[in-house]
Formats: sequence, structure tokens, C-alpha cells
Amino acid sequence: MTQRISKYQRFKMMNPVIQFFKFIYLSIKIMVVVAGGHGGTRTNN
Amino acid sequence: MAKIVILGAGISGHVAAAHLRRKLPKEHKVVVVSPNSNYQWIPSNIWVGIGRMKSEKILFPLAPLYKKKGIDFKQAKAISFFPEGDKTETKPYILSEYVVGDNKGKQEKVTYDYLINATGPKLNFEATEGLIPGENKTYSVCTYTHADHAWDGLKSLIHEMKQGKKAKILIGTGHAKSTCQGAAFEYILNVEQELRKHNVRDMAEVTWISNEFKLGDFGMDGMLLSYGGMTMKSHEMIEMIFEDRDIKWVLGAGVNKIEDGIAHYENLEGEYKTETYDFAMLIPAFSGHGFKAFDKNQNDITEKLFKGFMIVDADYTAKPYEEWSVKDWPETYQNPSYKNIFAPGIAFAPPHAISKPRKSKNGTDISPAPPRTGMPSGITAKLVADNIIDSIKNGKESLDHKGSLGNMGAACIASAGYGMTQGSGVSITTYPIVPDYEKYPKTQGRQLGKTFGEIGLAGHWLKLALHYAFIYKAKMRPFWWLIPE
Ligand SMILES: Cc1cc2nc3c(=O)[nH]c(=O)nc-3n(C[C@H](O)[C@H](O)[C@H](O)COP(=O)(O)OP(=O)(O)OC[C@H]3O[C@@H](n4cnc5c(N)ncnc54)[C@H](O)[C@@H]3O)c2cc1C
Repeated sequence: MTQRISKYQRFKMMNPVIQFFKFIYLSIKIMVVVAGGHGGTRTNN
Repeated sequence: MAKIVILGAGISGHVAAAHLRRKLPKEHKVVVVSPNSNYQWIPSNIWVGIGRMKSEKILFPLAPLYKKKGIDFKQAKAISFFPEGDKTETKPYILSEYVVGDNKGKQEKVTYDYLINATGPKLNFEATEGLIPGENKTYSVCTYTHADHAWDGLKSLIHEMKQGKKAKILIGTGHAKSTCQGAAFEYILNVEQELRKHNVRDMAEVTWISNEFKLGDFGMDGMLLSYGGMTMKSHEMIEMIFEDRDIKWVLGAGVNKIEDGIAHYENLEGEYKTETYDFAMLIPAFSGHGFKAFDKNQNDITEKLFKGFMIVDADYTAKPYEEWSVKDWPETYQNPSYKNIFAPGIAFAPPHAISKPRKSKNGTDISPAPPRTGMPSGITAKLVADNIIDSIKNGKESLDHKGSLGNMGAACIASAGYGMTQGSGVSITTYPIVPDYEKYPKTQGRQLGKTFGEIGLAGHWLKLALHYAFIYKAKMRPFWWLIPE
């Protein structure tokens, strides 16, 4: 086993307070990507 | 009055039915034909397969909901397509067969003005000899019953490991052309975490086996993504996660035969090898349902409607990988021969793969088929419904709503372990789903700002939030339509 994720990184990944803000940030960002519109590729729309 | 028939009540069929019913006046009929009595939120099967969620939590019966909403429901399966009717029936129809109750086995011609084929994939276990869910120690999580079996198998193995048994766990793809690597990826991370929770991690060797050329390909040719302020390739990110969790991997593997505890495969080098295991979850090949189609004189016209899956407005001209274009991908999901037939979700025939096709030295194709995940399935279903609604309201064909996978984003929130404080998720969003090398030539066809990865507890919360939001939406509770596909 190779430890590829440091203790500090893991702390950040699992800390509920940091992750709460990440949750809000991710929800908005995903909304922008997914619900942010779609269209064709063959014409300019 | 128009009659819209929808085949299938999965993510795309159900989304289409819900929007049609909401937006069309009651004089128009919406009919759903589907063999399963329940709606299931498939992405949460991962948690059913590790015993952290009961299958009842991811499903609900369709008949009462459809009755309440004014949608006709026939618990039946489509058998063949008659887009011109026949000698006795002037309207186009679907020949369907009831699967339950007094009518079981009875066939019916279901006529339509518009047809939405949302039958998704056939889980083609037969394409791999011996790959049978619940047999030969192999399992699947593709349906809730499969996921229940998978948990039974895993639970008894964990029990044996607690008694001192050393075990090998194999998770990935069960065919050289499988897709849906994302689901297997989620499952391997969840299983690995469960082993740790049960204090048996050191008793198990966990291996990923896949037809991908590199880790993190996911049938999408991999991706360049932003992660933690850096730009990295998806294979680097997944390699980091697997190494950190001590998960081994076998790539470029076309599994072709399963025996009790042995997976036989061919690799890209052309070598024939085996992996032994005590528990395996392998995603089967997905195929079309083998539907037949006939014209009004009973001549076979299957090739006008199907190419495995249903033919739509894609460019199916065969061409090499280097010439593939984002423009090959469909925009309206309309069948070119019969303009009142549409196929959103997984039911449409893709023009080609997304990942670079590869052959073994023996000439066997070993590379992922293109995935079509839940979000694009919902989005394409909604746009098909919107075009049908406009066409009915305007009294002429209207195809203003378009959504190519080359101009659409997708979020893959891969659970990496269950738990409100111990859980984790790998959130990857990709824009566009099909890389557009003309628009984004320097970033492997994707827009970097919108193609990003995140690992952590927030990912688990997000996946859980999506579970509740999408089940709320599927149950058509108040203001359900405000939740985007
Ligand atoms: C384990 C797993 C996890 C996944 N996780 C995610 C995820 O986290 N995020 C994501 O975006 N996607 C995920 N996916 C993919 C997602 O589930 C699919 O993209 C989606 O279900 C496709 O929707 P669909 O309606 O096209 O097909 P399906 O959901 O397969 O629905 C097909 C419907 O057609 C019906 N049908 C079949 N045959 C007939 C017939 N002859 N006549 C009439 N009806 C018929 C079926 O009963 C079913 O109701 C996952 C898939 C799996 C297997």
C-alpha cells in the first residue's frame, strides 16, 4: 500500500465543517454545469 | 387528441411521461408500457449492494402514481414495432405483451401518434459465458434484486473473513465491450470501505478488472480535469485513489468466460489469463433488446429502426477514431425514417464509442462502449417530451429543443463509502460529455473550468442529497419540476 493522500489532505477531505462549505460550493458548481443549458453542435445555437 | 406512448419507465421514460402529463391538456393521452411494476433509482443500488440501504428505499410502485396523475400504465413489454400499422390497423402501433395478472401472456396492439422508446439497455449477461448474477460467485448491482443478492454474497464472505478466511474480491467489467465503469468504480470503493468497517480489510485482496486502456477512462476517453488547484489526467486521480486504498488493477481486460471463482480474460497483448476470486461484481455488456419492426405489408424493416439500439439523428457513417466529430452525435433523438418515433436515454444507438477503440493482438475488440448516465438520460427525455408538446400545440413538427452529448455536461458523483461522517465521494463533472476537439483542442476536448474532480465527505452528502431529490421528483411531489434533470 502506498499512502498517496497525506494526513492533512485526508483531514480536509473528512472535516465536516470544511466539507459543508465544499458541499454548498459543489452543489452550485454542478448545477451550473448540468443545468446550465445544452444544445446542438451542428448549428450555432 | 394525441396519444403518446412511452416504452419503459426508467429514468428517461419516467421523466418524459411526467413532463408530458404536466404540460399537455388532459384531452391528450399519455401511456406508459413497461414490464417492471416499480420505479427504481438505479444509482443508489450501490448502497443496496453493500447492505447500507434497503432496496425498498430506492423504489416505489408506479401504478398508483400514474393513476393519480392521469397517466395510463400497462405492465407489459414491447415485442415488435409496426410504425405504419398493418392491414387491419391503420394507425402505427407497438405489439406488446402483458407480463402479470389475468392478462399475462396476452398480446395487445398499442396504437400511438408519438412513440418514445425509452427501453434502456438489455443487460446482456449471456454475452459472457458463465456470467450469471448470483452464480459462480459473481454478482451484479444493475437492478435492486441483483444488488440485494450481491449484499447477501458479500455479507457471507465478510462473515467467513471474520472467521479467518483470506479472500479475493474482483470488481469491474464482465465483457470486452462493457460500459458503466463508473458504477463498478463506485462499488469497489464502497466494498473496500465496508471491509475496513468490518475490520477485515487486511484479509482481502481487492482487484479492479476493466476493459479500459487506462484507469479513469470511464468509457469517455478519460479526461483532463482540475483537481485541488492543479490540472491532472483522470487516470492520475484514480490511480492515486486506488493506490491509497491498496486496490490492485488489471486493465485492457476482456473478460470472456466465468467459472466458479475464476474469471477468464484476454488482454490487449493477446494473452489469455485468469483471475481467481471469492466474490466478483462484474458489469455485463449492454445491448439492444432485439426488437423487430415491420411495415404495413409485414415486411421486415428492422434495419430502418434499429442498429442494435434505436437509430436516431446521429451520423452513423463508419470512420476512424481520428475523424470522429462531436457533430456525429444526435441532437433530437428522432428516428429519421419515422419522425414520430424518438429514443432518449440509453435506448438510442450511439454513432460510435467515445473512448479510442482498441484491439488485442488477436484482433478482439477490447474497449469500453459509450456510457449514457442518468443526467443525460433525463435531459434527453425532457427535450424529446418538449418537442412533442410543441409539435402537438403548433400542429406541425417542432424540433427546437436540442441536446447533443457534445454540448451537455454530466456529473458523476461516485460514492466512495457510506456514512454521514465517515462517508466519501469522488465527484467528477465533465463538460461536454463527448469531447469537442474543435472547441477545446488544448484540453483534450473538454472545458477545464467545468471539468473537475473533488474527493471527500461532501461527495457522499451530495450523492445522498441527489438520491432524495430525484426520488422526490420521480414521485411527482409538489413543484417536482423545479428540480433539474
Ligand atoms: C449500478 C448503477 C449505478 C449507476 N449510477 C449512476 C450515477 O450515479 N449517476 C448517473 O448519472 N447514472 C448512473 N447510472 C446510469 C443510469 O442508471 C442510467 O443512465 C439510466 O438508468 C438510463 O436510463 P434509461 O431510462 O435510458 O434506461 P433504464 O433506466 O434502464 O430504463 C429502461 C426501462 O425500460 C423498461 N423496459 C425494458 N424492456 C422493455 C420492453 N421490452 N418494453 C417496455 N419497457 C421495457 C425497463 O423495465 C425500464 O423501466 C448507474 C447505473 C447502474 C447500473
